[in-house]
Amino acid sequence: MTFIDVTGLKRHFMMGDTLVRALDGVDLSVEEGEFLCLMGPSGSGKSTLLNMLGGLDTPDEGTVIVDGQEISALDANGLAVYRQKKVGFIFQSFNLITSMTAIQNVEFPMIFSGVAPDQRRARAARLLTALGLGDRMDHKPTELSGGQQQRVAIARGLVNQPVIMFCDEPTGNLDSKTGMEILDMLAGLNQNGQTLVVVTHDPRVADYATRTVQMLDGLIVSDNGNGHKQ
Amino acid sequence: MSLRDLLGLVLLNLNRMRSRVVMTAMGVVVGTAAIVVLISLASGLQASTVESFEDFGSLNQITVFSSARMGGDSSAEGLTADALDDLASIDGVVAITPYESLNGGSLSYNRLSGFASIYGIDPDVIENMDFVMTEGDDNIGNYTVIVGSDVGSRFSEDGDSGGGGGFGPMMMMGGQDDSTDTEDAIDLMGKTITLELTRRDDDGDEETHKVRLRVGGVIESSGGQEDYNLYMSIDDVEDLTAWKNGERPDWEDEGYSQAIVIAEQDAEITLEVTDEIENRGYFAMSTTSIVEALNSTFMIIEAVLGGVASIALFVAAIGIANTMIMSVLERTREVGLMKAVGATNRDVLSVFLTEAAFIGLIGGVVGIILGIVGAQIIDVFAASYLASSGSDITSVVVTPLWLPIGAMIFSVLIGLGAGIYPAFRAVQLDPVMALKYE
Repeated sequence: MTFIDVTGLKRHFMMGDTLVRALDGVDLSVEEGEFLCLMGPSGSGKSTLLNMLGGLDTPDEGTVIVDGQEISALDANGLAVYRQKKVGFIFQSFNLITSMTAIQNVEFPMIFSGVAPDQRRARAARLLTALGLGDRMDHKPTELSGGQQQRVAIARGLVNQPVIMFCDEPTGNLDSKTGMEILDMLAGLNQNGQTLVVVTHDPRVADYATRTVQMLDGLIVSDNGNGHKQ
Repeated sequence: MSLRDLLGLVLLNLNRMRSRVVMTAMGVVVGTAAIVVLISLASGLQASTVESFEDFGSLNQITVFSSARMGGDSSAEGLTADALDDLASIDGVVAITPYESLNGGSLSYNRLSGFASIYGIDPDVIENMDFVMTEGDDNIGNYTVIVGSDVGSRFSEDGDSGGGGGFGPMMMMGGQDDSTDTEDAIDLMGKTITLELTRRDDDGDEETHKVRLRVGGVIESSGGQEDYNLYMSIDDVEDLTAWKNGERPDWEDEGYSQAIVIAEQDAEITLEVTDEIENRGYFAMSTTSIVEALNSTFMIIEAVLGGVASIALFVAAIGIANTMIMSVLERTREVGLMKAVGATNRDVLSVFLTEAAFIGLIGGVVGIILGIVGAQIIDVFAASYLASSGSDITSVVVTPLWLPIGAMIFSVLIGLGAGIYPAFRAVQLDPVMALKYE
């Protein structure tokens, strides 16, 4: 069953006097359980596509259907609920809240989805322990290494049990060794059935992905199909 | 988002920027403290003023003058016997009595001479006037009289009563000479004092007429003008006036100069009766109506003072708005993250509005405490100054309960109001841009 179905997606915006065609008619379908790697040079539209899929941005034209729900037709509140219930995000710069401890950061999304405090804490602790941060839970982000911070961010992304995770350059701010650790972790999640869409410049990501899509100038230029990992 | 989580998040955020929160709240502190101090002072002034007016007479007594005598409509009916009957029929009126003063008499007891303001009233109505007797009873008539508590202190050997004249009949507000030496006061109860009237006959020769008055009761001090009054029967006053003027006055047909209406013991009813009497063309004055007028004047004073102090709060509101705008700017990425992890616009709005309201609340609570303490300090100094200058006012500060409650609600509302614009700026942030914000 098609899990993500994108049809005729367009997103244009003005940058100064020039019209930027960030997405210029994209069609894409993703199956459940895929690890999709979106690649392409800067300005190719891959991040814009990710934001559309994640419900952070809305298209000018076309439709996005995720898990049977038409995201492109939702209002602001509907999108917030969609992000809350179905989506996990991982960012290049981690975006942890510096005044909160690791466990508070992981608990943060559950504040908005209304999980009870004790349940929240237990779930966050379990995830952090699973990601190897059991002894760092009460540390602030500034007391953690980059890799540890990204693992906290992964735990935060997973905490509401999303049907899909969107990662924007997850290894971009990490050294190559730590980057590999994070990619191993994402691949592990995928093997447990987690659907992933990763936007990256990092060619190593393609080695972990089950499918790689290349973008250029707002269009998909190559797609190695729905095949599984070589 | 639950209320508990909202408060937890807000406190975390405020703690993070606490020095800025403290400085911003300082503006609210100054504003609320100023409101509490100024309105407490105005309320205190109101309370002591009203209290001193209430001393002047029973709250349910209305003094009535005919308009003609007050320089008003000369065609209006005088206070004739019929007019008194008419006024007695007004709803809420318990009793009515004519009220005539007797001028030009001097009092003496043994070799001492003294003075009092002498009034004639209806002996049947006196029980309604609620005189509290310290001695004797309130029966008057046939030259049995009752006297105010300070009349006895006005008798002295050298007779400094000033040419034998009594006080004028008009009420004098304040200005009483309190320096009376009470050690020399004589207890007039049961005593017989002499009232001496003087007139000139047709040849210009002075004639005197002496009557003996038996004091049947002494009225408890009210602290006001009434303490110097002497009450006798209106019939006795009529007889004495007849002698003094050489002809009997026809008050029943031509009108008394004043009357006292006793209303039911209720401020509302007293005011209604006062209005009704005025509607019927008389001039009516009651302590209650004076107090009422004073209260509304003080309300205006309080509103003006509150308004002036509110300017400080308005400035504080600008400070809160400024702090919150800075905060939204600094936390742009955080707002983007909140949205990315599923915070609704309502959640974002709640967080920033509550933060702003909290700054108002913190400032309000501290300001109210400082204001109450400050007002009490002023009270201590003012009271000791007043005591040293011989005033019997013991407190110039009254902080009514609604004041701190109202000031607190007001400061929270100020914070909320100041937070609206910054909170909407946070709501309107585009999450994609916000997450990339450096």
